[in-house]
Formats: sequence, structure tokens, C-alpha cells
Amino acid sequence: MHFVTGGAFNGKRAWVKQTYKGYHWISAYENASLPIDVSTIEGNLLVLEGIELWVKEFTNKYNLNECRNVWNRCLDQWQSWEKEKPGRIIVIIGTDITKGIVPVEKENRRWRDAAGWAFQDLAARAEKVDIIWYGINHTIKAGGEEE
Amino acid sequence: MKSLLTNPSFIFITGGVRSGKSSFAERMAEKMAQETGGVLTYFATGVSTDHEMAIRIEKHQRDRQTAKQPWRTIEHSTRIETAAPQIGSNDIILLDCVTTLLNNELFSEQDVWDEKFLKKVKRTILTGIHCIKSRAKAMIVVSNEVLNEPIFGNELVFTYARLLGQIHQHLVKEADHAYLIEAGIPILMKGAEK
Repeated sequence: MHFVTGGAFNGKRAWVKQTYKGYHWISAYENASLPIDVSTIEGNLLVLEGIELWVKEFTNKYNLNECRNVWNRCLDQWQSWEKEKPGRIIVIIGTDITKGIVPVEKENRRWRDAAGWAFQDLAARAEKVDIIWYGINHTIKAGGEEE
Repeated sequence: MKSLLTNPSFIFITGGVRSGKSSFAERMAEKMAQETGGVLTYFATGVSTDHEMAIRIEKHQRDRQTAKQPWRTIEHSTRIETAAPQIGSNDIILLDCVTTLLNNELFSEQDVWDEKFLKKVKRTILTGIHCIKSRAKAMIVVSNEVLNEPIFGNELVFTYARLLGQIHQHLVKEADHAYLIEAGIPILMKGAEK
């Protein structure tokens, strides 16, 4: 898994499109629902974009711990899709929403917490993590999963 | 620090609130002026709309006046390219900051924020900066990191964020060096430090 993050409108999508070719692209920004089961997806490259929006949906249904569990079950599924065939990779794009002032609304505070955990868990399991800063990538993790 | 020949001529700096980005930019400008014999020029974009802002501006002015090297100040809150005739080829320009400039342009007219107006604002800012920097010896542009929080749900915020993100991406593309300042520590994101 390759996790690509950074602030809004920093050029994450353009960077991924420039870096990878021949992808199957699923975007929360285009109102796609969370693809938990990806087993029927062919090809070797799957891009999942806008995970913070899918995480927000979790917070409508679950408490923070449950959100984290559900998220990690998604990561399990995605990792097993990757492992099914050699050369497969999932690129996951998430917009960082965690560095503002504490939101006034409770649901937005919960969203921010859940997104923060989801990003941490994903980064820990990803082989590679890049931050995109106005079109420039900064690799903050490379070379494997933490145990 | 770099020699005369390898001096970058366009530098972009961002950071969060109170990250130390302004003082980093000022020190850099002073160093560049010292090395090249350039004229330190502060390009002020702030409009003092209230008392607190007035005090802030005054403090900044006092700081620059009492600095070891004197600063010249140019004040323009909108359409900065109109200041071009005042820019000399020996000037080291510091513009602080892009978000203020964007606010000024967005709220200077009672325009509706349609695509045409937003495009015009973006063009005004980018050509303004481009115009100033091409006349000067060097230009340092400072901006704010404000895109790492939720921008969905409020159309005004979303539009503002999109515009600022596009402007930042463009400036980074143009820049010889780009820095992100975290807690006073500059991280060089673009350009090699010699």
C-alpha cells in the first residue's frame, strides 16, 4: 500500500496520475461509496481517493474504537487484494484535515479524531508514505511495513 | 550561504501561524541584501482595518526601521503589478503574505464569486508577483499553511482553499527554492542548498 497525503488542493491527484499509469480509480469526491470488497477488481493498480470522507461516514454509525476496527478490516481486505497477484498495488489518497482549530461541532471533532487514527493506522501498514506539498512529494516512509 | 552567482532569485516560504516564517524570510532577505549589495524592500499588503491590525503593522514597521540594515517599504494592498515602476533591478523584495493579498483581492469588490471573477483574482495575483519579481534582483514570497483542515461543507471556504492551493502550487513551480517552516525550523522542499 502506498499512502499519499497532504493538505487540500496541494496536487495529490495530479501527482498520483503522474506517478502511476493504468489505474482503476475510485473516488469519494465523486460520491463513490467505500469499496470494502475489491476482490472483483481486475488489473494491478487500484487508487482509492478521499478516504477522510469514508471515515466520516463511519463516525455517523460507530464510536471511535469501532471506527478504527472497521477501518483496519478494510485495510485487511485491500492488502489481501494486493497479495493475490504479484505486482499489485493499492494507492490510497487522504486529505489531511487534522491541523486546524478544534472544531466547534461535536461531529466534526469526532471526524477529525477518527481521520487521525485512520491515517496513522494506514501509514503504519503502508510500505510507502508520501506527503504532497504544492505538487512536490516528500517521502516520509519507504521500504516496508512496521511490525 | 550561496555565492553571488548561485543566488536564487525567487523564493517561496510557507508555515502555520506563529511558525517563524516571517522572521526567517526577513533574515534571509537581509542576508541576501548583505551579500549582493541589494536594497531591502518590504512589500506591504496589509490594510489596517482595525486597531489590533494597526498595532501589528506598526510593530512590524518599527522592527524593520530598527533593524541593522534599513528597509524601504512599498505599500499596495491590491493589483500589485501597478507598483512595478517603483521596483529597481537591485531590490530584494519581501512580500508577506499571499493570503492577505488574496483576501484583499477577493473582498475589494462586491463581486459574486463566479468562475470568471476567481480566475481574474488568480491571474491578478500571479501576474502581479511575476511582474514584481522580474524587475527585482530577488523576491521572497511568504504565505500561510491553511489547507490542512476540513474545507467541505462551506462553499466559501472550499472556494477560497481551492484558489489558495492553486496559487501556492503555481508559486512553488516558479520558485527556485521553496521552504516549509515548522516550529521555527525551515524545511527545504524545493531546490538544493549549496
